[in-house]
Amino acid sequence: MKMWTGVLTTVMAASLLAGCASNNTGNGNAANTGNAGGDSGSGEAKSVTLKMFVAQPRLKEHYDKYIAQFTAKEKAEKNIDVTVQIEMPPADNAAQILKTRLASNDAPDIFALHAINDIPSYYKAGYLEDLSDQPFVGKLLDSVKPAVTTTDGKVVALPLETLSWGYLYNKKMFADLSLTPPTTLTEMKAVVDKLNANNITPFLLSYKESWIPQLFLPLAAGALINTEDAEKDFITRMSNDEGSFSEMKSMFDVIDLVNANGTDKALEVGGDDGAAAFAAGKAAMWLQGPWYAETILKSNPDLDFGVAALPINDNANATMINLSASTSLAVSKTSKNKEVALDFLNYVLDDTDSNAFFQALKFNPIATVHTFDSYPWVNDATEYVKAGKSYQDPAIPQAVKDEVGKDLQSYYAGQMSQDEVFKALDKAWKSFNKVNK
Amino acid sequence: MPTKAYKTYLSLLAFTAPALILYAIFLLVPTIGGMYYSFTDWNGLNRSYDFIGLGNFVEALTDDPDFVNSLWFTLKYVLFMIVLQNAIALVLAVFIESRKKSKGFFRTIFFMPNMISTIISAFMWTFVFTQVLPQIAEKTSMLFLDQSWIGDPKYSFVSILIVSLWNGVGYMMIIYLAALQGVPQSLKEAAIIDGANAFQTFRSVTMPMITHAITICFFLTLNGAFKVFEVVFGLTGGGPGRSTQVITMNIYEEAFSNNFRYGYASAKSVILFVIILIFTLVQITVMKRKEVEA
Repeated sequence: MKMWTGVLTTVMAASLLAGCASNNTGNGNAANTGNAGGDSGSGEAKSVTLKMFVAQPRLKEHYDKYIAQFTAKEKAEKNIDVTVQIEMPPADNAAQILKTRLASNDAPDIFALHAINDIPSYYKAGYLEDLSDQPFVGKLLDSVKPAVTTTDGKVVALPLETLSWGYLYNKKMFADLSLTPPTTLTEMKAVVDKLNANNITPFLLSYKESWIPQLFLPLAAGALINTEDAEKDFITRMSNDEGSFSEMKSMFDVIDLVNANGTDKALEVGGDDGAAAFAAGKAAMWLQGPWYAETILKSNPDLDFGVAALPINDNANATMINLSASTSLAVSKTSKNKEVALDFLNYVLDDTDSNAFFQALKFNPIATVHTFDSYPWVNDATEYVKAGKSYQDPAIPQAVKDEVGKDLQSYYAGQMSQDEVFKALDKAWKSFNKVNK
Repeated sequence: MPTKAYKTYLSLLAFTAPALILYAIFLLVPTIGGMYYSFTDWNGLNRSYDFIGLGNFVEALTDDPDFVNSLWFTLKYVLFMIVLQNAIALVLAVFIESRKKSKGFFRTIFFMPNMISTIISAFMWTFVFTQVLPQIAEKTSMLFLDQSWIGDPKYSFVSILIVSLWNGVGYMMIIYLAALQGVPQSLKEAAIIDGANAFQTFRSVTMPMITHAITICFFLTLNGAFKVFEVVFGLTGGGPGRSTQVITMNIYEEAFSNNFRYGYASAKSVILFVIILIFTLVQITVMKRKEVEA
């Protein structure tokens, strides 16, 4: 018995060591291949290790390829041996890991964060390098730039993923009934009536996950802020504990219309189920962004759908597309290799290589250097943007967005009245102000 | 002699050291750290934070209706779980113990759900509640099955109970089975000779003899039910709105979504810890007194 235990321990210890060893070789190999491209340069090469943190494991091969191109370029142009250690945790807990790193003074040189949700607090905590005078800034499209600009006018990140969204609609159903996306709420009602008359459910409701009903708020608030003179300074006033969501009471006009003409058991349908149902043609419209395009097409590759702007009142100018950015790259203020990190960021929008990179990642064009053809639904949205019918995603605190999702669930379930929703939202924003004073 | 006692302790410590060290590093230290942060307004990101004394605790208990509501909801859940989980487990154990044949078969069947991870069983049941039951209702015209099982707060509490019980009863049943098998046959026979019927035997002989198992099962249920998270998370996500939000979920929401108030969320965790501590201490002292030895 004793001997067996001894043997077992030895074996386990050995396998542990072996595990470490193989890991080391693995890293070594990766580093070598990274450098291989750059060996052509001569003379004493400076070597730099660049740490990156990008929470998109599904896109690893594209990043690896692009990083290899970068190291080759850096070696050729500046004679620097760059070793890139890229860390790609799953998106769910990436924010936690990143925060731990930052708080423990172990910041990666370059890290990805969410433009709308994360930039304000990270900037305030002093983790983000000011990138305003970097060459890439000049290449960003005007519609994208505001998302990565702080309130005091500094560009602090490079947007990778951008979104332009309103709601999705089934183009075939619309075409069969010769309907076009409505531009006012009255027209929307006519569309809904016609769909009902033809036994097609107008809206797909998927309220199980609270972030989906939450989408109403950025759409309605964004449109009102950008068209009503009284609401222009809504965000500022809310941030100063003045103002109230009851000013936005009219947003319930469209919410009620959607809720009253939607599919059954909305609170049991999540995002993925919703995508499948929309792909199966269960309803003509879905309040959702094109980020579900891949899922929808996976369950029905032939579905022809488009993106349109949601009308919220009878002002046709208020029917606008929401522009926003999510994953963005920032440089750590404490980075010891700032120069190389900045080189990389500029290389991301390189005049020659960036186009193919963004196309491979299936992201939307964000800079003047991007000339590839985008998807039909992106083009739909771009039409609106070109016509000037778009606005920047309003800077509503994440805490308030979380709150509105839950409140609209309760509203749908009949547990909350409109006034209670407004009260809860005001409270959420006030406590956000208190915490982030 | 004292050197020998000292040596015994040392060797005991040496044996438990690997587990103890890991426990200290990964559980004890973070717990104490969390308690420390509960007195601060740290947001999980800033390098600096302020010490605010009992401010977080006062706010949680007086100015946070969502937290208090989730506390009541959790208490309601705990109450139902303690009664139902133990009653069903005991009934199943007695039933299985009374079988002559196929004991092993039933034991396995009832224990099986416990081997599936809670979150997975929650997702499985989500499918059952949203797809299977409505279909059955349609096919068999048992219309009462066609409810909004996880979308309507009236029914979602029942759904949460069903899944928790399905998942948890098996484990308690095994403990009760072991206890039942430990009841000396001679005592039961004596009772029968004295003219007791089956129910009387069970109440006056078996029950007192398995009190120690009841203590353990109550403790486990109480402890586990207060900390319930996965089932609710998987089934309803606390929704619609916050109508099925349990206390752990409220803490999670405070720390990892909303305003990232780590300090405040830590304070709520400490409150939960204290509540569980008090409840279990009371439960154990009361029930220990009732235990008897064979």
